[in-house]
Amino acid sequence: MRRLLALLGAGLRQNFALATIRHKFFKQKQERWLLLLFALGLLGAAPLVVGYFIVLGRLYAILKPMGQETALLTLAILAGQLLILVFGLFYVLSAFYFSRDLEFLVALPARPFEVIAAKFGVILVNEYLTVLLVVAPAFIVYGAMAARPIAYWPLAALVFLLLPVIPLALSGLLVMAMMRLVNVSRKKDFFILAGSLALLAAVLFLQLGLAGTRGPEEMMRFFTAADGLARLLGEKFPPCIWAARLLAEGFSARGIGYLILFGGISVAVLLLLLWAAERLFYRGLIGLSEMAARRTKLSAAALAERFARRRHDWQAILLREWRLMNRTPIFLLNGILSVVLVPVMLFFMVRSGAGSASLAFLKLLGSGDRSAEILFSAAFFIACGCLNGTASSTFSREGSSFWISKVIPVAPCRQVAGKFLHSYLVAVLGVLGGMAAARLALGLSWQSVLPAALLALVAGAFLTAINMAVDLARPLLTWTNPQRAIKQNLNVLLAMALDAGFVYAFYRLFVILRRAGLDGRQLILAMLAATALAAAAALFFLGRIAARRYARIAA
Amino acid sequence: MIELKNVCKSYNKGAVRAVDDLTLTVPPGEIFGFLGPNGAGKTTTIKMIVGILAPDSGAIAIAGRDNRREPLACKAVTAYVPDEPEIYERLTGLEYLNFIADVYGVPARERGERSRRWLEAFELAAVAADPIQTYSHGMRQKIVLTGALLVEPRVFVLDEPMTGLDPRSAHHLKEAMRAHCDRGGTLFFSTHVMEVAEKFCDRLAIIHKGRLAACGTLEELRRQAGDSGSLEKIFLETTGS
Repeated sequence: MRRLLALLGAGLRQNFALATIRHKFFKQKQERWLLLLFALGLLGAAPLVVGYFIVLGRLYAILKPMGQETALLTLAILAGQLLILVFGLFYVLSAFYFSRDLEFLVALPARPFEVIAAKFGVILVNEYLTVLLVVAPAFIVYGAMAARPIAYWPLAALVFLLLPVIPLALSGLLVMAMMRLVNVSRKKDFFILAGSLALLAAVLFLQLGLAGTRGPEEMMRFFTAADGLARLLGEKFPPCIWAARLLAEGFSARGIGYLILFGGISVAVLLLLLWAAERLFYRGLIGLSEMAARRTKLSAAALAERFARRRHDWQAILLREWRLMNRTPIFLLNGILSVVLVPVMLFFMVRSGAGSASLAFLKLLGSGDRSAEILFSAAFFIACGCLNGTASSTFSREGSSFWISKVIPVAPCRQVAGKFLHSYLVAVLGVLGGMAAARLALGLSWQSVLPAALLALVAGAFLTAINMAVDLARPLLTWTNPQRAIKQNLNVLLAMALDAGFVYAFYRLFVILRRAGLDGRQLILAMLAATALAAAAALFFLGRIAARRYARIAA
Repeated sequence: MIELKNVCKSYNKGAVRAVDDLTLTVPPGEIFGFLGPNGAGKTTTIKMIVGILAPDSGAIAIAGRDNRREPLACKAVTAYVPDEPEIYERLTGLEYLNFIADVYGVPARERGERSRRWLEAFELAAVAADPIQTYSHGMRQKIVLTGALLVEPRVFVLDEPMTGLDPRSAHHLKEAMRAHCDRGGTLFFSTHVMEVAEKFCDRLAIIHKGRLAACGTLEELRRQAGDSGSLEKIFLETTGS
């Protein structure tokens, strides 16, 4: 137990870079402005959180007269657990099999289950932070509006603590089984990618199946039965129902029954994970870094042919970025694959009739207002192209190899140009995917799709430049696990918040221009001109700061 | 060729002086060995020469150009090999070499011949088309060295280059560096191997606690130390306190 706690403590300190934070902020007293930036970021998120509380309050008020208020809890728990299940897959894969501390951990006199338990603990703490904003407000709103007794609150805390255990442990079991199979192959990278996508597809299938089409009579039965909506929401993932009922019933006999069920299954799945770790973990891990090597000597002629082409420096940087991004499974999943995934998900959601958001979107688009249709399509294309970590981790992804960028005789602004082209290329692919989904799934006309795509492409240039600037301001180069460079990188989150702010500003500009009397082609051209101006300014700014920042980044 | 004038670098807002008023000149044609205990400031000095770190004060010139005012001109004539070969693992050896050749502007017709020569010398020809991820530590060190040699720069700055090299590769590297300096080039390198420094270097410097403790040919160091013993003995005496 002492060894497990030591491993867990070291893992948490490494994950949150506690030693670095203490050293930098309190010993070296450097970059203390980051603390202020962090506080400002929290402050910036405050309106969103308040808005979420208001929405939940209104939802409760709607559900209460129908006797369906428990659905609020089920919905929040389900959202939190699915979030963990989908994103947890890659997180678990990365932490269990691709972090650089593994070679060190494997050599320690620790049992496989202890290593896994420590890593699981670190992931768990991270997941608490991820789902805190989704789940905790629902628990608070329900507790306050239903005037629950005092015993509700410790139970709510317990449910919150147990919440990520089942989905994370399931992710861990799936990943360990997959890696055990993959590690016998010579083409591990390919199978890891293929396996991860298959797991993700399975999870998405489950998610899409949740709101599958039902007949009106069946739906009515769910709504008229007490707690029926909660059952409808949670039926594909019963732990959500158990947790919600546990909170609704409190310490009654039924409540204790749900506590035993939910807590017992959580502990059982965790124990199953640790049991499987003893049998599968090292077999899937050992030899994983040994990639297939051809070891074939090239002839002088073949070698000359490989060196026959000379590229410009910016082309060399672009090619390097493309190769490094697409050959690192974690980067690929968060880059090109994520921009492809969003339109594909939309397509299947609309086709399966699931997803009230997409249906509402359809309704809005079907209102016959062409300008609004173009604007909302553009916003969707922007989300498809830019809401990924490609641009906002472009410097961080270089990690400990950043010294190369500092010593090569290529001006920082030219290096940044190569990186911009790479990130923008990914954004363009996202816009193209969004266009395909808009045409095929939503049935939008080319008259709407083309101007929207043009707007999105220009906005994409602006956002790519801004997202790169965020990462350039403070790149995370000290990562030992590629997941940290892109998925757990604060720069990526900050950039996404900026992107969301831009989309809102984009909408406000639309409203202002419309109130000023512009409409139709004039309105779209004015939006295009304003976005192009912003993009030019952002690119100019990025070019200006590149040299100064490159000189200051310690590698 | 390499000139450091009153260079200072400190960390923790001046609490730790890594390099303290360092002045050195390495002329063309010279192999210059840079010695010092762990934490003496060797890597910090090297990183300032190649532009990874900026000095707090003082100036560094490469081939007569200030490396902060004209960084690109300095980088274009310098090749650097760090002590840890942290490079792009997901590229193949050939892709890495092509990348280096592209960014240094090595002509297409020359890069093939130069690469072949050094890949053969370092026994990397059979693995050059494989991902660097599959390389051992020594092989990674050799592919970084191949990249540096491919550029044929005027100045080589190598941080503990012999670490991880097998004897044959170390021999090839020493021969290549000797030939490079005989053609008028410069080599600035750090090492902990006293035998290599003693036999291989034209001049040596010993840095201790960020300050230059001794500098000159081996004979000059012996005279300064008042000791006719080995370099190891001089090193231990110079850095004893």
